[in-house]
Amino acid sequence: MTIHRFAHADAASLQEVVAALDETCLPLGGGTDLVAMMKAGLMAPERLVNLKTLPDHHGVRPGDGGWRIGALMTLADLAADPAVAEAPALASLVEAVLDSASPQLRTMATLGGNLLQRPRCWYFRNPEVPCWRKGGRRCFAFRGENKYHTLLGGGPCYAPHPSDPAVALLALGAAVRLSGPAGDRTLALDDFYVTPTRDAQRADGYHPVTVLAPDEVLVEVLIPGSAANARSAYVKLMERGVWDFALVSVAVNLALSDAGQVAAARVALGGVAAVPWRATEAEEALLGGSLTPEAIDRAAEAVVAGTRPLEHNAYKVDQLKAALRQALRRWTAD
Amino acid sequence: MALNFRGPDAVPLTLQINGEAHQVLVEPRRTLLSVLREELGLTGTKRGCGQGQCGACTVILDGETAYACLTLAIECEGREIVTIEGIAQGDALHPVQAAFIQHDGYQCGFCTPGQVVSAVALLAHTPQPSEAEIRAGMAGNICRCGAYPAIIRSVRAAAETMAEQEG
Amino acid sequence: MPTIRRTKVEFEGRIEEREVIVEEEHVEGWTQDTQMRWVGRPLSRVDGVARVTGKAGYTHDVHLPGMLIGRFLRAKQPHARITGIDSRRAAALPGVHLIWHRFNLPPVAHLDGRELFGEELAYEGAEVAFVVGRDARAVGDALGAIEVEVEPLPFAPNLAAAAAEDGPAVLVGEDNWITPDGDIYARGSVEAGLREADVVVDLTFTTPTAAHCCMETHGSAADWEGDLLTVWHSTQSVFGTRSSLADALHLPMDKVRVISNYIGGGFGSKWGAEAFTLLAALAARELGRPVKAVLDREEEHLVAGYRPGSRQRVRLGATKDGALTLIEQEAEVTTGAYGGGGPVIGGPAKDLYLCPNVRTVVRAARANTDGARAFRAPGYVEGTFALESTLDALAHKLEMDPLDLRMKNYADESPSRGEPYTYKGLQRAYEMGAARFGWPPQADAPAAGPWRRGYGMASQIWGGGGGPPANAIVKLSPDGTAEVLVGVQDIGTGTKTVLAQVAAEELGLSLDAVRCVVGDSLPAPFGPGSGGSVTLASAAPAVRSACREALRQLIALAAIMLELEGADPDAFAVEAGDIVYRADPEKRLPLTQVTAKMGNYMIVSKGARGPNPDDKAINTFGAHFVEVAVNVETGQVRVERVVAAHDIGRVVNPLTATSQVYGGVLMGVGFATTEARVIDPDTGLQLTANLEDYKVPVMVDCPEIEVLFVDVADTAANSVGSKGLGEPPIIPTAAAIGNAIFDAVGVRVTDLPATPDRLLALLAKEKTQ
Ligand SMILES: Cc1cc2nc3c(=O)[nH]c(=O)nc-3n(C[C@H](O)[C@H](O)[C@H](O)COP(=O)(O)OP(=O)(O)OC[C@H]3O[C@@H](n4cnc5c(N)ncnc54)[C@H](O)[C@@H]3O)c2cc1C
Ligand code: FES
Ligand code: FES
Repeated sequence: MTIHRFAHADAASLQEVVAALDETCLPLGGGTDLVAMMKAGLMAPERLVNLKTLPDHHGVRPGDGGWRIGALMTLADLAADPAVAEAPALASLVEAVLDSASPQLRTMATLGGNLLQRPRCWYFRNPEVPCWRKGGRRCFAFRGENKYHTLLGGGPCYAPHPSDPAVALLALGAAVRLSGPAGDRTLALDDFYVTPTRDAQRADGYHPVTVLAPDEVLVEVLIPGSAANARSAYVKLMERGVWDFALVSVAVNLALSDAGQVAAARVALGGVAAVPWRATEAEEALLGGSLTPEAIDRAAEAVVAGTRPLEHNAYKVDQLKAALRQALRRWTAD
Repeated sequence: MALNFRGPDAVPLTLQINGEAHQVLVEPRRTLLSVLREELGLTGTKRGCGQGQCGACTVILDGETAYACLTLAIECEGREIVTIEGIAQGDALHPVQAAFIQHDGYQCGFCTPGQVVSAVALLAHTPQPSEAEIRAGMAGNICRCGAYPAIIRSVRAAAETMAEQEG
Repeated sequence: MPTIRRTKVEFEGRIEEREVIVEEEHVEGWTQDTQMRWVGRPLSRVDGVARVTGKAGYTHDVHLPGMLIGRFLRAKQPHARITGIDSRRAAALPGVHLIWHRFNLPPVAHLDGRELFGEELAYEGAEVAFVVGRDARAVGDALGAIEVEVEPLPFAPNLAAAAAEDGPAVLVGEDNWITPDGDIYARGSVEAGLREADVVVDLTFTTPTAAHCCMETHGSAADWEGDLLTVWHSTQSVFGTRSSLADALHLPMDKVRVISNYIGGGFGSKWGAEAFTLLAALAARELGRPVKAVLDREEEHLVAGYRPGSRQRVRLGATKDGALTLIEQEAEVTTGAYGGGGPVIGGPAKDLYLCPNVRTVVRAARANTDGARAFRAPGYVEGTFALESTLDALAHKLEMDPLDLRMKNYADESPSRGEPYTYKGLQRAYEMGAARFGWPPQADAPAAGPWRRGYGMASQIWGGGGGPPANAIVKLSPDGTAEVLVGVQDIGTGTKTVLAQVAAEELGLSLDAVRCVVGDSLPAPFGPGSGGSVTLASAAPAVRSACREALRQLIALAAIMLELEGADPDAFAVEAGDIVYRADPEKRLPLTQVTAKMGNYMIVSKGARGPNPDDKAINTFGAHFVEVAVNVETGQVRVERVVAAHDIGRVVNPLTATSQVYGGVLMGVGFATTEARVIDPDTGLQLTANLEDYKVPVMVDCPEIEVLFVDVADTAANSVGSKGLGEPPIIPTAAAIGNAIFDAVGVRVTDLPATPDRLLALLAKEKTQ
């Protein structure tokens, strides 16, 4: 519980930040994950750069008919921002943010940090367990206590991605803008998150699930505009009422035609894969139909396509179906 | 312009706490919680977990609640910090404090400073919270003694007192 | 005159005959009709301001000039043998003052019969080395620099492994079973019970290992002044701590002072001196500076005890009309590497119902974890869950209302002791609870969505009668203020307030003229540890008795002033702050006028808890009625409403008493729905050693709780008429929740906690049947 010694700097400009970042010098957002990881002795950067002192990327701007959200925005500010809170298309994002962590953590945590937080898997977070994700030889959850672990995407790591906002953003078709020494690049979240592989590994042994380079900063989240008749919902199932990570979560964004037909659908899942997971089968099942009980049943069957439960998490299959139903049923009344 | 790294050795910081400036000399690795408790003797803010999992260390930073156990002290320079010691005005208790006493909003009292601080901040943002808003707004403060029903009652009563004082 | 007597005292389900010095209380018991000014009122706590302003000083907050910090390096594996420790690099780090370990032992390495820094490390978290340094950073850095060599040993992390035929030895050279034959209670015969039964219900259960999760982790600070040791210790027992420390350090008891003024929760886990207490004291002596040692949250989960998980089987037999013919309950638990026999899981089975044939067995085995500790109604929580769930199943099988079935088997006398109760208000609690809750519940309209509603109830029995020894001292000053010294602790229960109420009542003073000092072994006479719900019932009569004695002295003075010298003290009464001559109420004097007359001295008196009544059982009772909502698609359970009705004798302070019921109910909700310690079978490491994975309820999880008290003075129990309340309200909650779940969705929860995965599995099984 004692943090190692490190040096600290407040950032004034992005250029100087990306010039300084490397495997031993990490950016710090709200610190709610990084400080906890350091306390556990699981991360030990020599230097930290406080991003919060950067002048930009603390707010929401309009862009390309959609929204550009600064990565340094806190989760609390994001949910309270009128441009976000009042946009029906972003309802899922607001729900996901307000379902995340606790009020205090939301005023501290930044959106960027949230998307980049490390797994909460109880083997990963235990310094005594040399699990694969942090550079060890095997995933201890695979044949161990895996009730909170993944159903989709297979190994080598079965720890679910912990972020709620990431799931909502994936269903919103969001992209992230990354800034590095060589300039900026923009990636769809579908491409930003990648299942962890043997080859992608940090110097400290960690296998990341994003393509962010050590010297890059996530600066913005771009959300495209959506059709007028957009529907958006986030359903998260937890064991406690709040302040709990998702057992499963489902984000749904639909565009409905005037006749009530599903013209566009994006469905994303949380708590069930090492990355926020696109449920394309469910999307296809929904497309073109209206939200009849039968269509909802079909989508619910489709959403669990390809799931492969571990010993203790088969219940998540039922929960995924239930969560999707819960989301879709909200719109069957209108 | 290069980044101005400070540390890892102790660096001088000025912290604005409960309206007073405090000078401390601490390493960048220090959390606000450890500086409050160990350097400044402000032990009203408690350490229940040190991991952002209980809420005992809740303080107000620039008007918003935060966990002092995950906040680096070095990042609090220039910020307005309010701890439980700064909630009452001299001997005059804040209505939230008075309500906790009246409605027994505690048992062992260890989570209480954090609960009071959260409630004060909640009412500053939402002066007339519904019960659901209280439950959601106070969700980041665990009370193992289970004083929740009495805490809810306390927050409600404080909201009423404050409305009367306003009106 | 004090005499030596045997008296029966119940503590956490076990009746002890104690040989104690018994002093008479010299007070008349307060009756149901006694007019009271302070007792019985919902008064705010006397230390409220300190609590809400952050000024209340807990052990964590102790800060003394020059104070150093101590901490253990702990075993990182479930079972190993230490072969080497190299602390040279650590010792050379700046700010490190001392390192003790197996190869550099402290002057004392034994505490309460256990060896410290032994060769065998039998659980994750076992003490490996103790480091003292300038501050938490210096110590933390040093802990990281100590090199430990161990030889891993095979381990048994749970009951299945420990009980396996050729399972690994938890402790080298010791049998894994601590009580192989079990703790057995029996009356009548199982065969007879089965023979007479028309129906039999036979169910098996598991309950989780539950962590206390005191918000203030365990900790101590130690300081020497010459040969006087002062220890601040977050404890439920200052005198228990004092004796273990005096014993370990070979000090006269009066050289050890233990202070525990504010305690951030205990729930049974904070008892005597701990290893860190002793080591802090030793290091403070060695270094000539105060030393504080406080556990962090992870250590709290690893080494500060738990309610042991259990496997249970309950068999109930009954006649067609619902008369119980058999109660059989078998339980197995693991109590850790150095654990003791299991908790009294069979307690409720032997006493809650009238039944001629009862047999209970509790078998305890070791496992490679730290030791179990008492946890709020140890045994009774898990035992009641299984018993009351099975009783509910029996009611369904008999097509009887569950409450009617309980009334059918109502015991007017203590079934295990065959003695009458001093008072039993369970029937009244049933009536009050049922009326408030609306029992029997009306059938709900069929649900449209996935949520189903259900209603359930369960009952509870517990001791809480307290008993001797407990003493009190009262100091009455000339300004009419009184100081009451009692060697008990206020662990959040409101003891300071409630005892002050009792003293104010007896002395006829106003509440703010009374100050009650608890949690300090130096000024106070002996008081019991705050466990088993005995504090109030033990200490309050002692306080009354001391106050009465003070009054006697004061009355003597008043008599002179009223020119009634030599009158019998009992001829006077205290009314509304006046000392009044009963025969002639005109003859009265304000108490403060009398105390003012004392001049510059004080009245000092002492009092003691009298004996418990012979041949009577003192118990507390209650019933919980619960409404739940269950989502049949997600498996989520929401506990929505709890009506808790309790008989605890006279309620001295309804405000603080209600708080305790809230706390018990909420802990019951957590136990039933979210809380479980998980140990990885593969590595033997605990996976839930934090407040994220070990899920205690947050505010959103808190049901609407309505608290009702029978509030009839148990005048035969003691002179105050009160019994304990700390434990009763956690006992029936889980069973009532399980029974409500059954009512909602027709599946019986036999494994706690009732998490969504379990509910969905039960519902799926039900569907396929
Ligand atoms: C008890 C608890 C419960 C929680 N519950 C939830 C929950 O229910 N749902 C949920 O979604 N989350 C939950 N969280 C996680 C929390 O939301 C994250 O810790 C938080 O969002 C991280 O944001 P941060 O700004 O504090 O990140 P930091 O801790 O500052 O950073 C996290 C990581 O991202 C890197 N980083 C940060 N910002 C950037 C950037 N802009 N560019 C590049 N790298 C960056 C850091 O170097 C670090 O590696 C919980 C946390 C706790 C402690
Ligand atoms: S001590 Fe900060 S949240 Fe627990
Ligand atoms: S009052 Fe004890 S934890 Fe809240």
